[in-house]
Amino acid sequence: MDAEALVHDYLGRLEAAAGSLPPSRRAELTGEVRQHIEMALAEAGGRDEVTVRNVLDRLGPPDEIVDAERGAEGPPPAWAAAQPAAPALPSGWGGTEIAAILLLTLGAVFLPIIGPLLGLIFVWASVRWTKRQKAVATGIVVILAILPIILLLGVRAGGVVTSGQL
Amino acid sequence: MVLGETRKPLTELRRGVAEYCVLAVLRDEESYAFDIVRVLAQAGGLVTSEGTIYPLLARLRRDNLVTTSWRESDAGPPRRYYLITREGLAALDAFVADWTSFRDAVDAVLTGINRGVA
Repeated sequence: MDAEALVHDYLGRLEAAAGSLPPSRRAELTGEVRQHIEMALAEAGGRDEVTVRNVLDRLGPPDEIVDAERGAEGPPPAWAAAQPAAPALPSGWGGTEIAAILLLTLGAVFLPIIGPLLGLIFVWASVRWTKRQKAVATGIVVILAILPIILLLGVRAGGVVTSGQL
Repeated sequence: MVLGETRKPLTELRRGVAEYCVLAVLRDEESYAFDIVRVLAQAGGLVTSEGTIYPLLARLRRDNLVTTSWRESDAGPPRRYYLITREGLAALDAFVADWTSFRDAVDAVLTGINRGVA
């Protein structure tokens, strides 16, 4: 590779490495490095291959130059951007959960049927409880709801219904 | 990054102090990148990749630690000269104080270790 081709190749690699920089800064950086090469070659007083290779070696690898844009403790470059942190899972109980529990318990006494049904709506609206927990709660409510019916049927079958009961 | 495996202490130290060395070069007179690099290289081992001076100067400029102005040159195209600002001088002074106590502390520990071994 002749001297001019070496310079051209180097600047091409620099431009590629600088792809993550803002376009204006990329243009400025490659311009500065190009001028640096020209000054170094003028100072060396020759453009032969050995001189050019020495100048480019002193400049350092294009990747290293672009890395230096970050600085000693700057933010990581775009390609190393961390994954956005997973949203913290809320824990404990919030208003929705407390309302659900109250409606399922006290609600069953003071607002039969309506209370537990509303309670279940709050259970499923919760962002803190898992699907499994919600399913268990729903199961308990359903069993408690049909238990009297089953008992009632059992009692009927036993033929011990006394007048005045239901 | 796994500490101890990929760490290069000198590279990291150099990276940490490079901008203050540049500010120190600019403390007494304005200069241009090519010349700053030459001064740092002559001081010995402060710059390994000369090209990294440009990102460094751009950062100093963004942080208002230096300002720039273009000047005609006797040979070649105009050059961008870098001047240290008041903030730059303050940052440099603060670093000099930090560095002195840091260097003394490291020296004290390192010599202590040497004494212990000997």
